[in-house]
Amino acid sequence: MIRTVAACLLALTIVAPASAQVDLSGVWAPYRAGRGADPALNPPPPSPIVLKAPYAKPYEERRAKEDEAAKRGEPLATPAVGCVPYGMPRMMAVALYPVEIIQRPQQITMVTEAFSEVRRVYLDKPQQPIDEVPPGYYGRSVGRWDGSTLIVDTVGIKESVPSYQMLPHSSQMHITERIRLVTPDMLHDQITIEDPVVLEKPVVYTLAYRRMPNYEMVEFICENNREYVDEKGAVRMKVKDK
Amino acid sequence: MIARLCRGCGGQPRRTAAWFAALAIAVVAAPHLSAHHSFAMFDTARRVTLVGTVTAFEWTNPHVYIELDVPDEKDGAAKGGAVKHWSVELGSPSILQQGGWKFSDVKVGDKVTAVINPLRNGDAGGLLFQVTLRDGRVLGNGPGRGGAQ
Repeated sequence: MIRTVAACLLALTIVAPASAQVDLSGVWAPYRAGRGADPALNPPPPSPIVLKAPYAKPYEERRAKEDEAAKRGEPLATPAVGCVPYGMPRMMAVALYPVEIIQRPQQITMVTEAFSEVRRVYLDKPQQPIDEVPPGYYGRSVGRWDGSTLIVDTVGIKESVPSYQMLPHSSQMHITERIRLVTPDMLHDQITIEDPVVLEKPVVYTLAYRRMPNYEMVEFICENNREYVDEKGAVRMKVKDK
Repeated sequence: MIARLCRGCGGQPRRTAAWFAALAIAVVAAPHLSAHHSFAMFDTARRVTLVGTVTAFEWTNPHVYIELDVPDEKDGAAKGGAVKHWSVELGSPSILQQGGWKFSDVKVGDKVTAVINPLRNGDAGGLLFQVTLRDGRVLGNGPGRGGAQ
């Protein structure tokens, strides 16, 4: 009898999915290194951005134009100014807004506070070919566990959705995330962006998050947007007369 | 802590070492992070202090707003003098809550002192740096942005 129970327990241990080892559930806020921070927990620096020749010059020119406009006090608009959500991958790091992770064996759901964006990562389904995924803001994400690291594969991001650092991207962009707990209360998401059309080599950067115990997510309905874009493409704030 | 700092500031915030440190961190951390909009339309090198009466407090996204009637300093509203209206932009409810705010901290009719970074284009609006509420509490514009932190 005891032997049978022991055998069953052993069998259970062996067949238990790796996801049972780690629970990423909870609310996580972007972590800013600074005073009192443990340098060992800081994310590594991002890789350089290397674009393919036809994209490099227009990108540099646009960034220079943006910098110049900002110096004049007339910052150029991005889609977010009009309350258009960020989409992947920028939604994963918006100012200080937290991200809630809800983990089930078959699916991990991520809800961001800014614009209440939602990502669903399927753990029990294969990825579809890029050309089969309808282009959208979040694309289609599937995940698998590599030990205690969650590997998420995302394709199908609409070309009009700006990428990391406002980079352009093609329909062939492929995002791979390696998400892991660095400590019980610190999470790192290493993001690798590959794009055979636009990028000369993959862009890799890591986002760090700290756990927000007992935090209740705040709703975000963009109902009172006073920023608008003027005829020069600059962001302006409407003021009231009274 | 808050009261002590408030007495020290008297509505004129000091650029403390902590404030500069927070700014430096924000700048260092900036490359990864996105925001609803750039703050370059505000003159963050300038501060204007507005002492006035709240006509509206909008606890909304993407930003919270304080609408303020500010009497002319020379001949105040009590004497029937000129009143200028200002629109003050704050962070969002989420960011403000993280900085110690509550949705009920400001009411219509409250007399407050708001220190703002004014709009560069000269319109009567700006970005809140710090506000002294009716009860004397001093709040900034979210974590690391002004206030008694």
